[in-house]
Amino acid sequence: MSLRIGAFIALAAILVAGSAWAHHNMSALFDFNDRVTLTGTLTKVDWRNPHIELVVDTKSGGDQVQTWSFEGPPPSFFRARDINKSDIESALGKTVTAEASRARDGSHSGLLRVMTLPDGKVVSACPQNC
Amino acid sequence: MKNSYRISITTAAVVFAALLPAAVPGEAQLPRDPAERAKVIAQIFEANARQLTLFDRQGKVVSVIGPRDLYNQPVQSPDRKRVAVIKPDLDKETNDLWVLDVATGKGTQITFSQSRESASAPAWSPDGSQVAYVALRGGRFGLYRKASDGDGPEELLYQSPGAPMTLTDWSMDGRFLSYFSTDLSGGALYVLPLDAAGERKPIEVFKSPSQVQGPRFSADSRFISYVSNQSGRNEVYVRPFDPAASANAAPAAGPWQISDQGGQGMAFWRRDGKELYYLAADRGVMAVDVGTAPAFQFGKPKLLFRPPEAALTGVAPGTASISRDGARVVIAVHPPQLRQNTAFDRQEKVVSTAGQPGFYLQPGLSPDGKRVVVMRNDPQTANQDIWTIDLATGKGTPVTNDTPPENAPIWSPDGTQVAYVSTRGNYAGIYRKAWDGTGDEELLFRYTPGAGMVLTDWSPDGKFLTFYTGVLLVVPLRADEKPLDRKAMEWLREDYDVTQGRFSPDGRFLAFLSNEADADKPQVSVRPFDASKPEAPGPGPAVQVSKNGALGMIFWRQDGKEMYFLTRDWEVMAVDVTTTPTFQAGTPKLLFKLPGPLPGNPAQWKNVSPDGQRFIFAMPATGASVR
Repeated sequence: MSLRIGAFIALAAILVAGSAWAHHNMSALFDFNDRVTLTGTLTKVDWRNPHIELVVDTKSGGDQVQTWSFEGPPPSFFRARDINKSDIESALGKTVTAEASRARDGSHSGLLRVMTLPDGKVVSACPQNC
Repeated sequence: MKNSYRISITTAAVVFAALLPAAVPGEAQLPRDPAERAKVIAQIFEANARQLTLFDRQGKVVSVIGPRDLYNQPVQSPDRKRVAVIKPDLDKETNDLWVLDVATGKGTQITFSQSRESASAPAWSPDGSQVAYVALRGGRFGLYRKASDGDGPEELLYQSPGAPMTLTDWSMDGRFLSYFSTDLSGGALYVLPLDAAGERKPIEVFKSPSQVQGPRFSADSRFISYVSNQSGRNEVYVRPFDPAASANAAPAAGPWQISDQGGQGMAFWRRDGKELYYLAADRGVMAVDVGTAPAFQFGKPKLLFRPPEAALTGVAPGTASISRDGARVVIAVHPPQLRQNTAFDRQEKVVSTAGQPGFYLQPGLSPDGKRVVVMRNDPQTANQDIWTIDLATGKGTPVTNDTPPENAPIWSPDGTQVAYVSTRGNYAGIYRKAWDGTGDEELLFRYTPGAGMVLTDWSPDGKFLTFYTGVLLVVPLRADEKPLDRKAMEWLREDYDVTQGRFSPDGRFLAFLSNEADADKPQVSVRPFDASKPEAPGPGPAVQVSKNGALGMIFWRQDGKEMYFLTRDWEVMAVDVTTTPTFQAGTPKLLFKLPGPLPGNPAQWKNVSPDGQRFIFAMPATGASVR
């Protein structure tokens, strides 16, 4: 385990290109045992470091719209998997499904695990956010 | 497993052990360009490859097992003839389980993970015929087992509903697996019954707001040892295990604290149930007489041996284990890490050395060029502190001397203080203290919970700090603002990575590394910095300074007419620059090339003398002894 602990961001300089910057200790903010899967309209994409943010409007149990914010890995994580900003932005205004670990504060936010785009393409944030 | 990464990231630069990171799927992306990728993989291997080494109870080397490789988590089979170990495939970005024959070193690959999946945390079945492990498959963590000769398919034993987990033991009666899950909200120890009918359901043995980890069964499976930081530091404890007890029930007795001077973990029970072993805080391998019939009893810990000092800082619960008979300790011994702070001139000639060899990282020169600030790991206490060393006399002075690890030291502009990063609780903060360690530590800035940061500079006027997270941030140090009220401004936040901000001597520019032009090739760039508008770069495009990529070590000469940086081939480069009226850069020229990768984070190094005549590095000190 400690060797894994050794693989930390400050010593990752040799991998500066495309390094996966971890802005937060995700477990401090999100509960990995509390998962949520939501389907709704992708309304916003913020494709920047240290982590991307996707906003989804969903109707949960009625007509009232709930706005959910999902935090994902940094852009470099997706770039290494041949997923670019344009791939996600093309889903704006369309229906997507997101699976996430819920925020500990109970807010409508989560740590993105998997997103299914309108064309059926599955975008995984694993292993970073598994 | 993953939680360990997450915890570690908040304690950025905490760990001294790794020279350069072993690639971890999802944590550090390799360049995609094949040549660059191969180069980086070779460097990671060279800096991290470990030699599996068997020691007896007195610390004498019995044998080595196979060639060096990127081994992690070695566990000896019950008969001591084989070792299960985790090994990454850097190119595929996987981790897999291997079993090595102790006598021949021959390895058998047991698991075959898909790209960016992994296996980890092996535990042998009591008869040695199987190995259990944690695997990431299809985006889910699960407990699996497979024949230890690699035959047959792997069997899913239990799939985690969410949180990652770390397997640590298979009970000697074969009935249970033990594992843990821990994060900043605390941790829990679990047992998975293997003989239950139907769907397997884990037993939550113990949940704690503290970090708890490493559960292992006593020989009779009636007790569990584990590590907890409930006292403020890691210690080894034992508590009863009753599979029928409810999760929140108070233990029938205990818990008992076994270690008395800190215990990192690696708590293994001997097969006859009469001895318990663990790794002490100072990395000594300890033994404790124990008994479990009828009640738990234990004696005073005694030192078996301390690993060789050159290998000390790499010894940790994840890199060593003890055999079931207590006769052998296997340690994945890393390359030598003793370092000598060494000053070079512009022609690569060694000008001087600073102090005695030690476990140093990231030397930084004071503004007057007379002292060095370093991260120093104490092999006796395992503490990582900030020290300053007088270049003329070699005298070392602790700036910090405490348990929380400190990192990323930066001199104040006037050379009277040192700023550094330390994580206390859930918060990483920037602190400062007098260079000679006198006086109290002062908190300058505290970041958001759980967020890591790498401090890289303090502006010449003393009014700003800069750090990075992939975003380049600036912290104004207004005197009328309380530390907890200070906010970091996202000076440059883009979809590309921006790191290592360095202020020009006149404070009008910030140099930084970014991979805007080529994701695989960060370059040194410069943009205007306006102290009256520190929330964003001043007008005008970035000026690229490097031509063929850079690794870090950005430094401005005091007169603002020359800059320095390090390439990915470990070349020290110099560039003529002007800052008036606008910033312009000439063609980089090679000063000298370092012999190979050096430990630490070059994006944090500030190791050039103000006149650009001296360059100090923590060079290998093979053969030397620690002071």
